[in-house]
Amino acid sequence: MSMRGTSELMLGLLPIVLVLLLWQALISFGYAPPTLLPPPSQVFARMGEQLLDTSFQQDIVATLFRLFAGFAIAVVLGVAIGIAAAVSQPVNAAVRPLVRVLAPLPKVALYPAFLLLLGFGHESKITLVTADALFPILLSTYYGASIVEQKLIWSALAAGTPPRDVLWKVVLPAAMPSILTGCRIGLVISCIVVFLAEMITSTDGLGHVLVAAARQFQAVDMFVPLITISLLGLILNGLLGAVRSYLLRGFPEV
Amino acid sequence: MKSILTRLAPALACLGLLVAWQLGSLALANDSFPTAWESLRAIPAILTDRESLLNIADSLRRMAIGLVLAVAVSIPLGLLMGRSRAVAAFFNPLLMIIYPVPKAALMPIIMLWLGVGDLSKTLVIFLGVSLPVIYHSFEGAKAVEEKMLWSGAAMGLTAAQRLVRIVFPAALPEILTGCRTGLVLALITMVTSEMIARQSGAGNILFNALDMGQYDTVFAMIIIVGAMGICFDAVFEVARARLVRWSEPQFDIPLSFS
Repeated sequence: MSMRGTSELMLGLLPIVLVLLLWQALISFGYAPPTLLPPPSQVFARMGEQLLDTSFQQDIVATLFRLFAGFAIAVVLGVAIGIAAAVSQPVNAAVRPLVRVLAPLPKVALYPAFLLLLGFGHESKITLVTADALFPILLSTYYGASIVEQKLIWSALAAGTPPRDVLWKVVLPAAMPSILTGCRIGLVISCIVVFLAEMITSTDGLGHVLVAAARQFQAVDMFVPLITISLLGLILNGLLGAVRSYLLRGFPEV
Repeated sequence: MKSILTRLAPALACLGLLVAWQLGSLALANDSFPTAWESLRAIPAILTDRESLLNIADSLRRMAIGLVLAVAVSIPLGLLMGRSRAVAAFFNPLLMIIYPVPKAALMPIIMLWLGVGDLSKTLVIFLGVSLPVIYHSFEGAKAVEEKMLWSGAAMGLTAAQRLVRIVFPAALPEILTGCRTGLVLALITMVTSEMIARQSGAGNILFNALDMGQYDTVFAMIIIVGAMGICFDAVFEVARARLVRWSEPQFDIPLSFS
């Protein structure tokens, strides 16, 4: 198995290496002028330089703050509404049509409204991140909670669990795998949305770094924030994976 | 009686949201937050203006081309990944790296290479739509029952025929879920790419109005774009329900990505 894992990993690295080679070849053979497509070595050198730069670090912190704040609110709201809709008929009747209308709505189109109502600071961006990350989390929580086996609840009641504790002790843990899947999708969306919001209007953050570089036609500096957000996404995904395997210890298969 | 109520529920929800908006804006009495009624009244002016209509039509054309191309490429790729471990191992890490990158954020770089025209925007929509469609096709193809494939092979179907005649139909419900996400995403990417490359399109009207302080136009455009999203989703849902009537009723609320 580990033999197979290693060879699959090598196979997976192949296309990434190929992309880098193609990138370098385009420049080496003169198909792309370095002003439009800087060589990978230059981009990664610049990236290393930037990561040590204080103002770039502050941009990363600003982006991460908005991302986490928006994502955290989305998780709390999504899980609470999702569970409430699964266990209560009246809530369900109210939430279902609302979700059906709001989920396919392109949230980015609401951004101008958030800007006008909440101003150009953190609030409007955090609200946009929450609005976009909320629905996948809400839907998978609802789905996970509505397929909890009735037998589990009966057993808990029979074993003497007070009915009001059933929610915390049975429904929430049983829905956890599904909730975490939703969180994972929501996290990727948060990364994407926070970056877009910063690109549209911002004075700091990774998205703003990209736009500022684009205005000055600094191709190298345009690649750096993109690679940074990709790395951040990978790291956060890895962290969520660790949280997942901690929370789901004892589940038969993850 | 009850079924009429369930059918009308989304429309009631829309109405409820508009009423909440109206009350909220009356309570806030903020100049930059027009009431729902004022915004609704600004819609006919946009929809009868020749230039705005051309802009919106341009947007929709780019969106349709990007969406169709992305679906045509992603479904076969996703199915192949689902049926072959090697293909999946080859593409998975690359896709994982691309996933958290906002596709519309590639716009400035692509604009450097291909200009601000249709080509860049269509390409960005293509990139935005492909990932969820690939992912869902992959998941769908992975879950196809081996027994059906064995029977197919025993009856003399070649590998390619098995892919088209067994894997594709069996994975169709999952593929269509991916397409539905892709549809919403195409709309989102379309609006975002036009916000960034301010040249034409619905996103451009929206943000030009914001810059010029025409707040009723801003909110009217939000309603138009939102209505597009809801209508596309509803139409797709009807088509999907017909195509996969045989499969079990699926979870009928779409996931929206950005």
